[in-house]
Amino acid sequence: MRLRIAYTKIEDARYIAHLDLTRVFERAIRRAGIHMSYSEGFNPRPKISFGFALAVGTEGEREYVDVDLEQDMDLGEVLGRVQEQLPPGIRLLQVSALNQGAKPLMAVLNAASYRMRVPMALPIQAERLQEAVGAWLAREHVTFSRYSKKGPTDKDIRPWIKQLEAEIRGDEIVFELEVEMGNAGSVRPEEVLASLRELENLPLDLEALQIKRTGVHVSYQGEKKSPIDEA
Amino acid sequence: MSNFTAAEIRRQVERFLPKVLKPSRYLGSEWNAIRKDWDKTEVQMAFAFPDVYEVGMSHLGTRILYHLVNSFPEFLCERVFAPWVDMEETLRAKGIPLYALESFQPLKAFDVVGFTLQYEMSYTNILNMLDLAGIPMRTEERGPEDPWIIAGGPCAFNPEPLVGFVDFFLIGESEEQLPEVLRLIAEQKKQPVSRKDFLVRVAQVQGVYVPEFYHVSYKADGRIEKIESEAGVPAVVEKAIVQDLDQAFFPTNPVVPYMEIVHDRMMLEVMRGCSRGCRFCQAGMLYRPVRERSLETLMKQTEELVRSTGYDQVALTSLSSGDYTCIRPVIENILEKHGAEGVGVSLPSLRVDSFDVGLADTVQKARKSGLTFAPEAGSQRLRDVINKGVTEENLLTAVEEAFKKGWSTIKLYFMVGLPTETQEDIDGIVDLAKKVANLGTKLGRRNITVTISTSFFVPKPHTPFQWEPQESKASVDLKQRYLRDKLRDRRLKYSYHDVKTSYLEAVFAKGDRRLAPLLEWAVKHGCRFDGWSEHFHEEVWMEGFKELGIDPHFYANRAVDYDDILPWDHLESGVTKQFMMEEHHRALQETKTIDCRYDQCTGCGICPGRGVQIELKG
Ligand code: SF4
Repeated sequence: MRLRIAYTKIEDARYIAHLDLTRVFERAIRRAGIHMSYSEGFNPRPKISFGFALAVGTEGEREYVDVDLEQDMDLGEVLGRVQEQLPPGIRLLQVSALNQGAKPLMAVLNAASYRMRVPMALPIQAERLQEAVGAWLAREHVTFSRYSKKGPTDKDIRPWIKQLEAEIRGDEIVFELEVEMGNAGSVRPEEVLASLRELENLPLDLEALQIKRTGVHVSYQGEKKSPIDEA
Repeated sequence: MSNFTAAEIRRQVERFLPKVLKPSRYLGSEWNAIRKDWDKTEVQMAFAFPDVYEVGMSHLGTRILYHLVNSFPEFLCERVFAPWVDMEETLRAKGIPLYALESFQPLKAFDVVGFTLQYEMSYTNILNMLDLAGIPMRTEERGPEDPWIIAGGPCAFNPEPLVGFVDFFLIGESEEQLPEVLRLIAEQKKQPVSRKDFLVRVAQVQGVYVPEFYHVSYKADGRIEKIESEAGVPAVVEKAIVQDLDQAFFPTNPVVPYMEIVHDRMMLEVMRGCSRGCRFCQAGMLYRPVRERSLETLMKQTEELVRSTGYDQVALTSLSSGDYTCIRPVIENILEKHGAEGVGVSLPSLRVDSFDVGLADTVQKARKSGLTFAPEAGSQRLRDVINKGVTEENLLTAVEEAFKKGWSTIKLYFMVGLPTETQEDIDGIVDLAKKVANLGTKLGRRNITVTISTSFFVPKPHTPFQWEPQESKASVDLKQRYLRDKLRDRRLKYSYHDVKTSYLEAVFAKGDRRLAPLLEWAVKHGCRFDGWSEHFHEEVWMEGFKELGIDPHFYANRAVDYDDILPWDHLESGVTKQFMMEEHHRALQETKTIDCRYDQCTGCGICPGRGVQIELKG
């Protein structure tokens, strides 16, 4: 039986590296006394697969994982038993059984949304903020230099942006961002803000930036769906 | 450093945690981590491991003592590890003191900070951690508001280079002794007596060594003249020892890290001690006599471990698990009971015989990752000198068995620089390596890899080789280069351990309290993580020796007389000096000593001396 589970990755769990998540789930399921299916071959591993990696330190409000179980089980019971064995910050939200032949998460997910909270380095007016965001969105291409081991490479980040909204709340600006994701890559939310600061002179204190991924989606012809409903 | 509260530390650390390497090293919210109410406990202890998280968390003693202390409702125990260099830099830059993982309380807030001494090369990390915590390094500079700094573990059997930094040491097995010490600290908190009176009181506990009550004087040539103890403390400190291992505390709910650690599995301690009597092996002497756990106990512990951790592998640990008398039934029972849940067994240390190859085959099933053997020396003569009861025939039979069972990677461990070693012994390593590779080729196995590793012999206290000098660095370096040239064959891979760190290891292993200022100097000049080759700075150490007028050769390369007073003569492992001397003689005469578990007592002195005895369950 293949399960698709929606979960949170918040609080301390946001520091768990993506690669370590498999270990965390695998052990929780084993502690729960639930038998997983294993891969064949040399070094059998339980069949667990995740969607897009979440950067260390970024909270995820609704992430997904697929797990293969050896036998059919009551979904509510699986959820309850595994939840008891998970570390704080990982809360199971929803589970559904996948149809035979359902596509893996990585093949169906193609969008993500983020909420970012940034303190203002200098106070600004709401109109000025809207102007800046509007001007930035009006650009057809936005070049951003990414630094890697090989040195800086220039990327056009604009095509990945589906939506960007901003609002002043107290001394913070709250951004809502929706981006496209795919095999060819995507854009990192902090790159969008760095570019806004640079190109539109927005006074953002990026040192104190807080990012939360609010969801990952299956997006098709302007309609967003959860990979659970889709399956 | 200002007075940070736990909440402030937590708030600040959270901001930069995503930017340091492996943030889950610094969390303390792992599965099975114990978070107690600080105010509802009488004594707060921080268990400090002077190396990184993934090394410390893999250590069985750490797991045992953390859960042992926390098993008492009145005590609290939290963990702290040496922060990796990037984390240290950030903590220093922001002026945040080193904190314990579970509560984020600064180390300074604890009543006691207990370091474990596993390896001489971690000594600088201890001082660095104290400094990061804002706790004065020197005992005399610490006030009543500072924690007691204590230390235990194998290196505590010669802790002299740390005298002046550590208030007292716990010698031997701490399962009973540490709670006793914490009880005295609880009493001290309720009804304080002077620091000195407290230390006299704690010195009465079996195995507790308070160095300031022992005075060392030296002769003009630098050797020790005498070690005198003050009235009211034992003249010789005898190690603490667990009488009944089967009943001893063992945690079956260990902390399960988020990240991968060095030994990322359940650990089952099947026995303690080893009676083979290899003459270079310190652990083999320190943990005598052999005591085993019963099959029933181990099965119960495995069951609990599987339920509480979710790990898929259990390692049967001890100094030589192949010797455990119930090894087969334990493995069979575990696989039968838990195999269906995907749980496998691993045996970390193997002896060289085909019985063990059979065992490895049972436990490894699909995973034939490579089999390790440790002949230690290249010739029979030298193996007799070190009392490694292994013949070339044993080794080749075992290797043949391994090739037949499907292994194609064999690892062989040797030591270079052993007492009495000659060119023939070095050539013996080459011979043996080639014989092993040829055997594989003859048996028609393709892709054979024989990995040969050599390390540099370090004479250790409380072993029959404690009087031996370490060979010079230059000469061992030549030998290792010679081996590198001779072992050129596409089937052979040669790796060797750096002679520079092993040299310093020998200095500190055999060192005395006159080395303490050097440690302090080295830390002030940036030394830490000396066991990690990328952080080891030989030049700095050499400069330190020069500047402080300390001769490292005096410690590492001097043959010590039987009449000389050793810096650790007032600390006792229970194995008599007489026995060590006899063993040293027998080594030089190339005579073997039998294993006392099978035939008869060979008179090391521990059993009659301490009212313990060898305890076998099979
Ligand atoms: S006293 Fe005898 S039996 Fe006991 S550990 Fe020593 S040699 Fe073995």
